[in-house]
Amino acid sequence: MTGKEKIFSLINPIIKKSPADQTEAVVINSQAGLTRYANSTIHQNVFEVNSKIYFRVALGKKIGVASTNLLDKESLNRALEDAITIAKNQKETPDFTGLPGKSSYKKLKTYSKKTANFTPLQRAQEIKKIFEMAAKRNFTVAGAFSTGESELAILNNKGVACFQPVSSAYINITAMSDNSSGYADGLSRNVDNLDIESLTETAIQKCLDSKNPQGLEPGEYTVILEPKAIAELLEWMNYIGFGAKSYQDGTSFLSGKLGQKIMGENVSIYDDGNDDMSMAFPFDFEGIPKKKIFFVQNGVAKGVVYDSITANKDKTKSTGHALTPDSPDRALALNLFIKGGDSNLKKMVESTERGILITRFHYINGLIDTNNAVMTGMTRDGTFYVENGKVRHGIKNLRFTESMLKAFSNVELLSRQRKLISSWWSDIGCICVPAMKIKNFRFTGKTEF
Amino acid sequence: MKELIRETINGLKKKGVDYADLRQVKRISENIKVKNREVEGVSKSEDLGFGIRVLYKGAWGFASSNIISKGEYKRIANLAMEIARASSLAQKEPVRLAENEAYKDKYVSPCQIDPFKVSLDEKLNLLISACDIMLKNPGTKVADVSLNFFRTEQIFANTEGSLIEQVITESGGGATATAAKDGETQWRSYPNSHGGDYATRGYELIQEMNLLKHMERISEEAVALLSAPECPAQETTVIISGNQMALQVHESCGHPIELDRVLGTEISLAGGSFMTLDKLGQLRYGSPKVNIYADATTPGGLGSFGYDDEGVKAQRTDIIQQGRFVGYLTSRETAPLLKQRSNGTMRADGWNRIPLIRMTNINLAPGEVNLEDLIADTQQGLFLDTNKSWSIDDKRLNFQFAVEVAREIKNGKLGQMYKNPIYTGITPEFWNTCDAVCNQNYWHVWGVPNCGKGEPMQTMHVGHGVAPARFTKVKVGGSR
Repeated sequence: MTGKEKIFSLINPIIKKSPADQTEAVVINSQAGLTRYANSTIHQNVFEVNSKIYFRVALGKKIGVASTNLLDKESLNRALEDAITIAKNQKETPDFTGLPGKSSYKKLKTYSKKTANFTPLQRAQEIKKIFEMAAKRNFTVAGAFSTGESELAILNNKGVACFQPVSSAYINITAMSDNSSGYADGLSRNVDNLDIESLTETAIQKCLDSKNPQGLEPGEYTVILEPKAIAELLEWMNYIGFGAKSYQDGTSFLSGKLGQKIMGENVSIYDDGNDDMSMAFPFDFEGIPKKKIFFVQNGVAKGVVYDSITANKDKTKSTGHALTPDSPDRALALNLFIKGGDSNLKKMVESTERGILITRFHYINGLIDTNNAVMTGMTRDGTFYVENGKVRHGIKNLRFTESMLKAFSNVELLSRQRKLISSWWSDIGCICVPAMKIKNFRFTGKTEF
Repeated sequence: MKELIRETINGLKKKGVDYADLRQVKRISENIKVKNREVEGVSKSEDLGFGIRVLYKGAWGFASSNIISKGEYKRIANLAMEIARASSLAQKEPVRLAENEAYKDKYVSPCQIDPFKVSLDEKLNLLISACDIMLKNPGTKVADVSLNFFRTEQIFANTEGSLIEQVITESGGGATATAAKDGETQWRSYPNSHGGDYATRGYELIQEMNLLKHMERISEEAVALLSAPECPAQETTVIISGNQMALQVHESCGHPIELDRVLGTEISLAGGSFMTLDKLGQLRYGSPKVNIYADATTPGGLGSFGYDDEGVKAQRTDIIQQGRFVGYLTSRETAPLLKQRSNGTMRADGWNRIPLIRMTNINLAPGEVNLEDLIADTQQGLFLDTNKSWSIDDKRLNFQFAVEVAREIKNGKLGQMYKNPIYTGITPEFWNTCDAVCNQNYWHVWGVPNCGKGEPMQTMHVGHGVAPARFTKVKVGGSR
């Protein structure tokens, strides 16, 4: 990686010379490798080194943004000039009151040299062990194993000078038989923390337990959702409801409801970029330190996350959740948590008379009715029928269509243990959630496998 | 630059690779978004780099970099070899590629008006005017309009002697009016939702959209939806609009015919396919009215190009003929399994991604009927217009779509509006109830710029030439 000093000495003179009233640079450098496997063979194996440098400039209240992925001075200066040209021809952004000034952020350990230097050969060796474990059951496996490093720097002419190096390692494993599948995944800043053997055992066991799935009619059931399934729902809730823009547009399920009870008292959902239980990251893309923000606290709607522009619109302060300068979404939560309870998966199953245990979902869509957080999606890779406190057998996959306001009002149990779940932004955050038992969850359709 | 590319490819040949290709890609883009007359964002980006794909002793390796220098080309070529060696450690069967001609060619997509030469002022004025019209309606809470332009310049070279240059310009845009009342929001979009319509064309596409003409209507419809009744649950006949048909084809036909999915290589993320090898030539996918083909040569289609990203010439392939399943989207690696040559659908999202089997333009051939006549011929049913949400299982059987609006059809006439309509079905059962597709006059190639697949994720731009079509016995309901 380039390193703090080199980035600062490359970018600071450009900012200093910028003729714009205010200039900000966001620098992202990364290198990462990813090995994909399917049918118990490696079929894709890739490596990438790349950069992205954004310049955001302001001429009064006129803002321009341009970016390049080239780190030479000529390309950087051209990107800056492009941003200035755009700003000159731009209309004013009334809610822009200036770039943020300098503030201190928490020192976090977010980098593992071993993860950064993990080689394609090391990934292949680990994957080969997965193949061997699956072969003992006559299963095949599919998945991906990635390792890499990034560095993020934010600089502006008002004194912001943030830098953070990160690493991440992620693996997902799907074990397959002729009529069933089982899934497990792991995520960490440190590749040594991935217990690949244990994850493989989980995927294989789920595949084994869900063999010869039986059909189940749609309807309302008690569901036990494993952390991956919860995270997939939460990811959509974030997208449609936790950012200031959807809240201000009135499309969020939190719009007009702050202070009101919208979920069960046992549900607290929050974002905390400084909690290193998660893939912590201390500042946002404007260089503002991340604040801990509750969206829902003990069932009551509490707030949303802001960047500086959306915050000005609501006459409040940024919460430190700005996205990259070109993002139309402006602000999103990237370090999501749901507070754990005092249960565990075993107790959830034992306390269930009739229900469904779900490993994960497929293709959730939350745009049906965003004000009520209505979503639809399919189950996949390990869906089980539970009866009289025991997992009985695998079932064919079902489609749910349900309001998350209703579902999260019907939470009966939450596990104490929480799990890190990867998302598209996993270099700088992830989702950390418990398993949850929810009653009266609505399934509206079924499929043939 | 071409000399450096040749030198790198020759170097890989000398090292004894089975095959290698190199793509150097430069992409510029401009994105403009205006909300409620305020410019939410104007940004321009430039992205340049190269990727080298190596097949060595039957195993793949790929490495890519944004550093354009002789030393980096050499380093990345060596790294791709090293990765291929690592792949071979856990590989069952060596990869063999289907034959392909060596091409030396240049392809430039049609572009009458260069969108990057149209002034920002002109673009902003158009978007602000569109907002003005939508906001004239006091019920409009949010008026959103956006324009997006891309230009991709690519050089492809491989160890078989191909050297192909391509320049592809893409334009797109659209508007959405959102109305809100008592904690409920409803929206209508033009010409399509989720960012509008896209094509491999220039700014003439935006001019032909005639955005301003439709802003009053969509804002009125969004407001009217707030007080419209919920779409009643029923099994009924539906006529599906062109822009929704595009997504219907995309999800329930375009994805399950990707041969890599069928062979299980996307199973852990995107999923598999119910259209397994044993069903080729056998499956009655749809009614005899259903004819679907893949065509990377469709003029202006967002999935049109000269050559795919492993140097196979753009072509047309039949997928569904009179309802029968007859063809897949293939690659040089997968086609030999069918004793075929690749039909040219390997596409990569930039220099830093490997090509995967992707949709090109997956088109539903036009039928014979006028839309007005089709409505007149429908005693009872619904007209479903413009996508709102989409979801389908991981073998592409059980689908569920929500659309922005449903209009009742009664005794051959369009009637009242319903809000929050959802329809659902099982793919082949649904397509077998298709009893009419509208004719060429209603046929349009819709651009879908956000098709996701692969790890790391790749977003592909694809097209769907479709016309409105009628289906019977469809399960419809409301979201509440």
